[in-house]
Amino acid sequence: MAKARTDLMQGTLELLILKTLASHPMHGYGIAQRIHEAVDDLLKIEDGSLYPALYRMEERGWITSEWGSSENNRRAKFYKLTKAGRKQLAGERANWERVSRAVARILQTA
Amino acid sequence: MKPGKVLFQSFNCEQTNRDVEEELRFHLVLLTEEHYRQDLDRDAARLAALKQFGDVDQIRNQCVEISMRNSPATRAMKSLLALTFVIGILVRVMGTEYHVTRMGTLLITLGLLGRLFLYVRGLNSSRFFSKPDASSQLILSERGQVVAGFDQSGRTPLERLFSEE
Repeated sequence: MAKARTDLMQGTLELLILKTLASHPMHGYGIAQRIHEAVDDLLKIEDGSLYPALYRMEERGWITSEWGSSENNRRAKFYKLTKAGRKQLAGERANWERVSRAVARILQTA
Repeated sequence: MKPGKVLFQSFNCEQTNRDVEEELRFHLVLLTEEHYRQDLDRDAARLAALKQFGDVDQIRNQCVEISMRNSPATRAMKSLLALTFVIGILVRVMGTEYHVTRMGTLLITLGLLGRLFLYVRGLNSSRFFSKPDASSQLILSERGQVVAGFDQSGRTPLERLFSEE
């Protein structure tokens, strides 16, 4: 039961990262800031948990990374969505909407 | 970057370690500055940043492990071993003479042992490619204070991460 919950959260984090990177390349801190702004206090996400997720996503070919210069001239690693990542985002998004509709329907009837 | 350099760097765990640490440090420095702007003093801002970030050492180790697994050298090695295995089977099936089939068996064994080595290395990459410092584990109390975790120079991971800034 606990594992299923973890899996769901892991998938959710990946979906949030994919969506955040859909607009333009960003470094890890930028991604974290954007997610915090978007979810406000509804979800508690430790910033560090983004990095293993980012590395796994790169391993799967959903994103690529490149060292560059940040807005304050520091060396930073920027992540960019790949074609496979965009496809994954579309699939994950459709899946998420389907699951949330199904859960909402059950909760309304119970 | 030249392909040879990419291949060499992908075998180099120290380089991977440095890249991961630099990336995490960048995040922690910006996070500290953000807390500092919210009227916290420097030390309190650092602790708040660390608390918001999570277990630095654990995250760094996970990232290094994934990075090594995903390196061009590891992928090249996997392909080579798969090829060795397939060639071994073909030689074993098609060979008629004793020494040829024996060569096939040798190739199959080589392919399997290589994969086994990569599997073990993948599970214990930190053991094979880096020397994790058990004493550098960061332990935070419930109030976010660093209560344990000093490296050989007597610095906490927090001090280590910020020392190069």
